Amino acid sequence: MTPNHLSKPQSRRAVLKSLSSGFGYLAFAGLSTFEAFGKARSSSSVRAPHFPARAKRVIFLCMKGGPSHVDTFDYKPELQKRNGEAWRGSAAKLLASSQEFRQHGESGLRISSLFPRLAADHADDLCLINSMHTDLPNHPQAYAQLHTGSFQFVRPSLGAWSLYGLGSVNSNLPGFVTLNPPSDMGGANNYGSAFLPAAYQGAKIGGGQLPAIFSALSGKTEEPGPPMKNISNDRISQQMQRAQIDLITSLDRKQLARDIYHPEIEGAIESFELAYRMQDEIPDVLDLNREPDSIRKLYGTDRQGDSGRFARQCLLARRFAEAGVRFIEVTAPTSWDHHSLLNDNLQNCGAVTDQPVAALLTDLKNRGLLQDTLVIWTGEFGRTPYAQGLGDGRDHNNKGFSLWMAGGGVRGGYRHGSTDDFGYKAIENPVHIHDLHATILHLLGLDHERLTYNYAGRDFRLTDIYGNVVKDIIA
Amino acid sequence: MNVRSLIFFVFFIPLPVVPSPAADFDFFEKKIRPVLIESCYECHSVDGGKAKGGLLLDTAEGMKKGGDNGPAVVPGKPDNSLLLAAMAHEQPDLEMPPKQERLSATILSDFRKWIADGAPDPRTGPSGKLSDAPTDIDSGRKFWAFVPPVPAAPPDIVPAPATDVDRFIRKELAEAGLSSSPPATPATLLRRIHFDLTGLPPDRRDRKRFQLAVNRAGLDAALEIRVDELLSRPSYGEKWGRHWLDVARFAESSGKESNFTYPEAWRYRDYVIDAFNADIPFDRFVIEQLAGDLLPAKQDSERARLLIATGYLAVGPVSLNEMNREQFLADVADEQINASTQGFMAITVACARCHDHKFDPISMRDYYALAGIFRSTKTHIGTAVGPDNQIGGELIHLPRAAGLPTFYQATTPDAVLKLKQQKSDLIAEKEAAIARAEKARQEGRDPTGEYSLQMAIGHIWKVGAIDGKLALVNEKGEPNVMCMGALDRSDVRDLPVYERGELGQPGEEKVPRGFPEVIDLAGSPVISGGQSGRLQYAQWLTHPDHPLTARVIVNRVWKHLFRTGLVRTTDNFGYNGERPSHPKLLDYLALRLVNEHGWSLKKLIRELVLTDTYRQSSDYRESAFLEDPENRLLWRMAKRRLDAEEIRDAMLAVSRDLNSTRPLASLIGRTGNRNAALSHFAKDIPPDLDGSTHRSVYLPVLRDKLPDVLELFDFAESSLVTGHRETTNVPMQALYFMNSGFVEARAESLAMLIRKGDNDDLVSAAFRVCLGRLPSSEERKVGEEFFRQVESTPDKPDSLKRYCQALLSTAQFRNLD
Repeated sequence: MTPNHLSKPQSRRAVLKSLSSGFGYLAFAGLSTFEAFGKARSSSSVRAPHFPARAKRVIFLCMKGGPSHVDTFDYKPELQKRNGEAWRGSAAKLLASSQEFRQHGESGLRISSLFPRLAADHADDLCLINSMHTDLPNHPQAYAQLHTGSFQFVRPSLGAWSLYGLGSVNSNLPGFVTLNPPSDMGGANNYGSAFLPAAYQGAKIGGGQLPAIFSALSGKTEEPGPPMKNISNDRISQQMQRAQIDLITSLDRKQLARDIYHPEIEGAIESFELAYRMQDEIPDVLDLNREPDSIRKLYGTDRQGDSGRFARQCLLARRFAEAGVRFIEVTAPTSWDHHSLLNDNLQNCGAVTDQPVAALLTDLKNRGLLQDTLVIWTGEFGRTPYAQGLGDGRDHNNKGFSLWMAGGGVRGGYRHGSTDDFGYKAIENPVHIHDLHATILHLLGLDHERLTYNYAGRDFRLTDIYGNVVKDIIA
Repeated sequence: MNVRSLIFFVFFIPLPVVPSPAADFDFFEKKIRPVLIESCYECHSVDGGKAKGGLLLDTAEGMKKGGDNGPAVVPGKPDNSLLLAAMAHEQPDLEMPPKQERLSATILSDFRKWIADGAPDPRTGPSGKLSDAPTDIDSGRKFWAFVPPVPAAPPDIVPAPATDVDRFIRKELAEAGLSSSPPATPATLLRRIHFDLTGLPPDRRDRKRFQLAVNRAGLDAALEIRVDELLSRPSYGEKWGRHWLDVARFAESSGKESNFTYPEAWRYRDYVIDAFNADIPFDRFVIEQLAGDLLPAKQDSERARLLIATGYLAVGPVSLNEMNREQFLADVADEQINASTQGFMAITVACARCHDHKFDPISMRDYYALAGIFRSTKTHIGTAVGPDNQIGGELIHLPRAAGLPTFYQATTPDAVLKLKQQKSDLIAEKEAAIARAEKARQEGRDPTGEYSLQMAIGHIWKVGAIDGKLALVNEKGEPNVMCMGALDRSDVRDLPVYERGELGQPGEEKVPRGFPEVIDLAGSPVISGGQSGRLQYAQWLTHPDHPLTARVIVNRVWKHLFRTGLVRTTDNFGYNGERPSHPKLLDYLALRLVNEHGWSLKKLIRELVLTDTYRQSSDYRESAFLEDPENRLLWRMAKRRLDAEEIRDAMLAVSRDLNSTRPLASLIGRTGNRNAALSHFAKDIPPDLDGSTHRSVYLPVLRDKLPDVLELFDFAESSLVTGHRETTNVPMQALYFMNSGFVEARAESLAMLIRKGDNDDLVSAAFRVCLGRLPSSEERKVGEEFFRQVESTPDKPDSLKRYCQALLSTAQFRNLD
């Protein structure tokens, strides 16, 4: 989708006339013709998708570290049987999962005992993909590929592309937010806009999460600071600031009357009004005390430690979704990178994430939001079916892993693709990260081959030259 | 071709194929398509950009139509299908995929079955057409960008405009039935040249002196004098050096996965600023950055300057957590190829790492010829080794006699000895712990009590810290003076072509180090045995007949003065880039830069800002706008928003808070090497990464972690070569003006300044100080209205400050006419 260029002098004239009437901007803010006047377009107008969308927004639950698929969503009876046997003639030994995989719901999806609530309440909502694969088994590269499609180059993130394609629904809020993203693993690149205009980058809410190694040593988990930069100012009264905005807008309008046509000033007038309203709206969205006790309890926001933190993140995600944010990423505060003490670590991750995730789906469903909200649960890769180290951990595995999606036009209670008998490699209907991206955009009503941006003389896509929409998972 | 297939190709008439049921496509999707994509599309598809032998295999039609040898697939007849014969390596001159083992027997039998079943193929639709991109040398040499600039006489224009440049512009305007705009007012022009040349607004004295000069000598003369003066101010280098730093993808940290700071990167930044101020000819500037270490130097200070220049090669983004040393070195070379070819020539050679360039005449051989040059170069990055940094690497020591500053603490020889002792103690301690752990393991006890992962990490950390300290001082405990940069390796070598760019797939033959073949220059420098070839690469780039280097820098300069390049894609002059709007003018200026200006950028800039075209008004004219809405023909001067640095610097300047001296090093240089992810915890680093009143070019530039003002106002992405920054308009920018401590502090200073001036008329006084002019009567009215409105607010005492803050927030403050 490249900006439309005006083709007929008449339409240009019509637009101009309207612009010079003083109310031009507001009248035309929603028209893509306006974009042709300059790059200084804002992200705050809704744009039509390429075809009818199944999902209007995305909640991306990022399980950083690489959750073990054979202990969570990919049941492998053969692996259970052959525990301790040598892995393909190597010194490594197969490691059976200690989790129980019972069937749940009408669909009978097998979900491990790590997620009792999710299994009991939402088995029939989940669309499991058991045949994911990605290019490299290293965290930073795989994390970058999951978020931007590329690990070699700085490229716009999935959220930025989504917002670029669809625009924002609520102009008082950023269209793409990321809650406590990790400060390492490529940092801001994972929610950046790269060569897309900065309007499409993710707004970071809350401090970045510190690399595990540093937080282990420092005892701190997040960067300090306010939840969002420059969002509040207790040194100025509201009346004073209102008077300032009126003054700025009024001077800008006079300037515009002199210049007649000047997109930068039009945009400035709009953005000060937006910013003024944002100051009210963002703290409101962030204020969880506005939720009834029953909801807070459902998520478990008052629980101690990581459980409470993740519960609050998930509840915030729902509040942002409800307020009209297009793309919301939540990075779980736990690491799924379990090279040792696999079972203890898995138990902890399960305990931290199960209730909030289940609550999020329940809550979205009760509000009628799940049907057009695509919820995605995934890590950057999976883990090996064989043990490493002292025999109680699993190594990284990019060749096969699992994720699930729910809501937003995907088939619930459905399992797509599979890995081999041990869960080592995706063999049936493999789904690459590029395919995942193509599918997410498709659900949002965007054709990944047509969603392009011309930079340095080349049309770029999220999926580069790859990607196939996984049609089977669409309801 | 054997007789059987020859007969077949001549006489075969395709039979109608019965439409296949959808189920049949399953086999194609699972067994056939993946093989085609993996093994054939690179050379036989529209996406791959090639149709070798005239054959495209990306549609059913293409397969059946075939290439120069005839149809590739004959549905139902595997034995008659050339595709299968080629895959089976039946004929020695037609083995596909080429230069590889034959594909597996399973794949071959899958294809046989598929063809026998009628070759059901869902890829309907017409066979695509390859682009006419000039990917071979012959057509490449005919492509405009690779044709050397052609001298062109400036067209005759009546009445004659001020300069020859204007003649070229006027001619195109006239042909489109358009005319130039009248000159801008002197005040507008003054503000324009001050920002464009120095990045700062004219102050009161500047304005007064200009007015006097205009009265005395007339506008033309006054303007000439002022342009010369601005070009000689240090702030010129701070403005134009920053333009180059965008192209040089300058930053003070490694970026990527483990983002370590580069505490010595600032020396290269200062080198660039000084080079612009000294107006070092651009050809010399190119050579210094690529090969300063290989140039002669009489004095220590010159030696140091030339070593620092090579920081250009070292300040790029690198993957410090790459465990494979060879891969790391290949990636560094790749980054250097990308930065230098895009930066100096505006072509994307790095595409050819894995395959021949799909749009430009750049082959893999060209890539590996350049890669050999950089692989024969050692890049000195100098970061502390830790658990998340596998690379480290020492810095280049600068001659002490050059007298350059350093921030490392001096210590005593004893302290150095003590550090060394600590290090060997730590190592001994670790070895003992490992031995105990091993013993525990053998005895069936838990070894982690003796030596755990945490201890291992802690050890790397402690030793790394000591190594880091030892690197900063010499044996005597005197602080070292060091820089980032590049030196030749002792093991200079040529590289083979690596298939698909994979180090595990070297070709047999080595490619001699050299330069892209499409640019063939008389007397091209020759790389001899013991040298990396960097110097020759730089000499080749700056050869007077090089078709790209001069054009590209002329275009970059033009872009900064006229807001849009003559070639709009400043970083891509290749097939996918745009064509120049005024090709003759571009050639004229490129030749003039080389032959008349001696590669002096100051002379070029001076020439351009004194044109009628630059001096035009930026006012809107409807008739011209309707004809040329993008202003490609320059019927008016384009307006622009100030860039991030200018916005911050202008606020500091009008509030007289600006410290216009150069700070020693940078925040990153003063606070040393660390992981940028931890910068929030450093007590010596302010949370907004600013906290200074120096010019913005001296703010820290960490990859992925920029000072607020830079991040908000479209600073260059410092991992990419950036000749053109976007301009965006987002509410976060408004929030910065409304609520940031920085803007508030400037408003505070302004209020004090105005009060000190003992002004009765605060509305006008603030207007004059902030915007450099008096308000119109209407503007005065809204100003007065503001003061009335805030009469009853609790923070009324702040109203002057808040008024000034609002003026700093107006669109006119940050826009240039």
